[in-house]
Amino acid sequence: MTNDLWLFIGIGCGLGSIAAALVYYRWVSRQEPGNEKAVQIASWIKDGASTYLRMLYRALIAVAIFLVIVLAVIFSGDPKRPLHGVYTAMAFGFGALCSALAGWLGMSIAVKANVRTATACGRSLGQGFNVAFKAGAVMGLAMVGVAVFGMSLLYLIFHDAEIVLGFSFGASSLALLAKAGGGIFTKTADIAADLTGKVELGIPEDDPRNPAVIADNVGDNVGDVAGMGADIFDSYVAATVASMLLGTSFAATIGIQYVVLPLILCILGIISALIGLQFVKVGPEGKPGKALNFGTVISCVIFAGLATALFAIVNLSAGETLLNWGALIATVSGLVIGVIIGFTTDYFTNDEHRPVRHVAEISASGTGLTIITGFSYGLISMAPAIFGIVLATLASYFSAQAFGLPGIYGVGIAAVGMLSLTGIVVSNDAYGPIVDNAKGIAEMSGMSHEVVDTADVLDSAGNTAKAITKGFSISAAALTVLAMYAAYSEVIVKYSGDSFIMSLQDPIVLAGIFLGCIVPPLFSALTMLAVTRNAFTMIEEIRRQFKAKPGILAGTELPDYAKCVGIASSGALRALVLPAFLAIILPLIVGFCLGPTALGGFLGGAIFTGVVFALLMSNAGGLWDNAKKYIEAGNCGGPGSEAHKAAVVGDTVGDPFKDTAGPSLNTLITVMSLVSSLFAPLIAQYHLF
Amino acid sequence: MRHLYLSLMPEALIASMLSPEEFGNYYAVGSEHTTQGQAVFFEVDPDFRHAEIPIGEALSRCVPHADGTPKHTVYASVYRVLERIPLSAIRTLYLTTKDGRTLGLERSAEMPASNGELHLYHELAPVRPLVVSRLGPEPFFRLLCGSSNPPLSIPAVSFIELRLGDLATDPLNGSLGDLPYDNVDHLRSCLGQVKSKEVAAKVVDRLHPGTFSYRTIKSGLYIGNKTDGLAVYRLQAMAALKETDYLWWKSATI
Repeated sequence: MTNDLWLFIGIGCGLGSIAAALVYYRWVSRQEPGNEKAVQIASWIKDGASTYLRMLYRALIAVAIFLVIVLAVIFSGDPKRPLHGVYTAMAFGFGALCSALAGWLGMSIAVKANVRTATACGRSLGQGFNVAFKAGAVMGLAMVGVAVFGMSLLYLIFHDAEIVLGFSFGASSLALLAKAGGGIFTKTADIAADLTGKVELGIPEDDPRNPAVIADNVGDNVGDVAGMGADIFDSYVAATVASMLLGTSFAATIGIQYVVLPLILCILGIISALIGLQFVKVGPEGKPGKALNFGTVISCVIFAGLATALFAIVNLSAGETLLNWGALIATVSGLVIGVIIGFTTDYFTNDEHRPVRHVAEISASGTGLTIITGFSYGLISMAPAIFGIVLATLASYFSAQAFGLPGIYGVGIAAVGMLSLTGIVVSNDAYGPIVDNAKGIAEMSGMSHEVVDTADVLDSAGNTAKAITKGFSISAAALTVLAMYAAYSEVIVKYSGDSFIMSLQDPIVLAGIFLGCIVPPLFSALTMLAVTRNAFTMIEEIRRQFKAKPGILAGTELPDYAKCVGIASSGALRALVLPAFLAIILPLIVGFCLGPTALGGFLGGAIFTGVVFALLMSNAGGLWDNAKKYIEAGNCGGPGSEAHKAAVVGDTVGDPFKDTAGPSLNTLITVMSLVSSLFAPLIAQYHLF
Repeated sequence: MRHLYLSLMPEALIASMLSPEEFGNYYAVGSEHTTQGQAVFFEVDPDFRHAEIPIGEALSRCVPHADGTPKHTVYASVYRVLERIPLSAIRTLYLTTKDGRTLGLERSAEMPASNGELHLYHELAPVRPLVVSRLGPEPFFRLLCGSSNPPLSIPAVSFIELRLGDLATDPLNGSLGDLPYDNVDHLRSCLGQVKSKEVAAKVVDRLHPGTFSYRTIKSGLYIGNKTDGLAVYRLQAMAALKETDYLWWKSATI
């Protein structure tokens, strides 16, 4: 088959995936929404989420228009390609639009599905699960569909991977702001609701008397649905584009088919997800967590089978090796190691294993030990993931090289293989906040405790899925940026006409490394400080409302939920300015001032500390959260005990770790790599050193 | 309608125009939510009078405010109240959570059976130590209020029995589970001493915090005095309360 035919198949497959998402969307929308009170609460959550998204997208449109103009102007200076700037700018805008569309679709179904899941939980566990999972699948399928459609269409039109890089940059810029903004929003609301509700006043979670409770539920959607979705979307597109760029660089020696191979693998990933989704079912007494994991594993097996079949059919029908077997080994190694890394994350964050239980037990001796022990396990938890990344890198590099492909192309393809599971992984991930919301709505609307208990069972599975997704997305981002890094080097060589060598004996390179190392910690600090600053403002507002409206706690007056949503929204957006500056402007300053090798060092430093910080913060935060939940289940003294108080502090520290700073670092390093690759042609020619 | 309430935390007799649920909410969270805390109180017969307590005067001052809102509290006494109120004047017990959810408990006709296990008691009034004992609630009450222990005998007492889990039968090796006291080694040591019959009861924590988790109550709340004996207000198991009083259960198990 010709490359163009694959691109048409990609467009068709992307549209098919979007159509499947719309079928699920329609099915979920037609489910029974439930009683009047539940619908009312769901509408507050929906309004809050819409308010935030409107504010976010308004700001993003302004940023996108600015960047579109900048890109169009800067990249139009090449007389050989006078329209390159316009095309890149258009691709950027299209990428941002697609990312926003996927996020909006996911959010819009999540805020419909939450109340329908709660109502379905009243019928059975299986029905509740079905509604939540199919709603999650809307997000998963829409995301991969939009991504593959967009990339295939752009490559079909322009036949230039550098233009598709603009698409990736657009998607990632939006993802960075959506993820960091969502993370700041969700933890602002969560911490404020907990500190005033649970700690100060003894109000249980998801109690409608707490003015921050709606903001907390909105945060689950904007942080964990739209934010996490945008994060994986950007890694998915970036990995594919990086491999396409590498394929373009080596096309003269290995063949043009390797430029579109990443897209072909994405197509197979969509087919695998569509089949795998059909296997995810829960019976009346079934286990939701096992069903989610089964879906992931079965999709993985189907993908490996389809990829092998594709390579065999193409090579046998051509009578020669058109698709190198080394690429298949690299793909499968990325896929398998991605799954393994996801599950090792579960070991450190699941209360069935030693680390969480140890932290819970030691919490009886005070907060200090809770923090030290949890932090230490967070540090240890990096090891398996890092080993996995190393293994995937080496296995894919050397397997590709052994079969005659450039090793670095194998690394890129391994990242694509790992992210081929995106459809099913995002489905699992979006399921989490939906059932979390469903539980909250069931509580707030006064549904029977049996319904709440059923939603709680679904919620526990969602928490585990969330932890696995984080491990997966960080590892995938690490491989992606390694491939992007290689792509950056290739572009520099191409445009400078010189070799690209980075030596640790070169002070310029060292300066770049040190500057890069500090970016992820700075970014983490800025986003977490934004959380504490906003949470403080919201706590003051909650206290004010309790004082001004004495009937709130007696249940005779309604709190002003919208006020807290407003504080979280505006605070999150204001806080994005500096982190966005770090991600987009800093690589350009380093590149244009210190040169390509310094920027290479800068990216290397940022990638290494970014991955380390992301793993540490995500895992330590998840561990503290589950240690608290383990105690709340009646262990180690139970709720109200000294162990619980210490665990609550641990969880409060861990909240912005795991939901704000940690996962946002994936996007940060991806955006920095993309900015560098996109501007590499200019940096190669214009720099001070 | 005016009510009389006997609060155990702190010990006080209070007149109020609020119903028990309203009073519990007010007492726990305050009118402007600037104060908060668990509340445990009995409703007392409003016709009850005692020479040492100006109950009539308190009730006469318990009138609506100028704006028509009901009077929340008029304190009749904050000292030696428990010993002056006979059990016959004490009615329903109310347990209010920190966020103001109130559960009413009626007096039980029968005492819980004692089966030779060890016990953990948290005295609520007049003082608040945490005590372990090999005595069941009735013998423990007699130890405190009876005549056999003259130097330590007190006129009246109210206490709750807390869960000890496996430690009730095996203090040295029993699994810890969900205990209401953090210093487990000390608890094991005290339980070991009362099990070996060196002493019938031993103070575990003489300055125990005034508040406790309702979730940790084993059998119920006891109130008694030298004259009338002991009465018990049994608390259902938490699983049963989840079925019957979900909102209170949820707040009580936070």
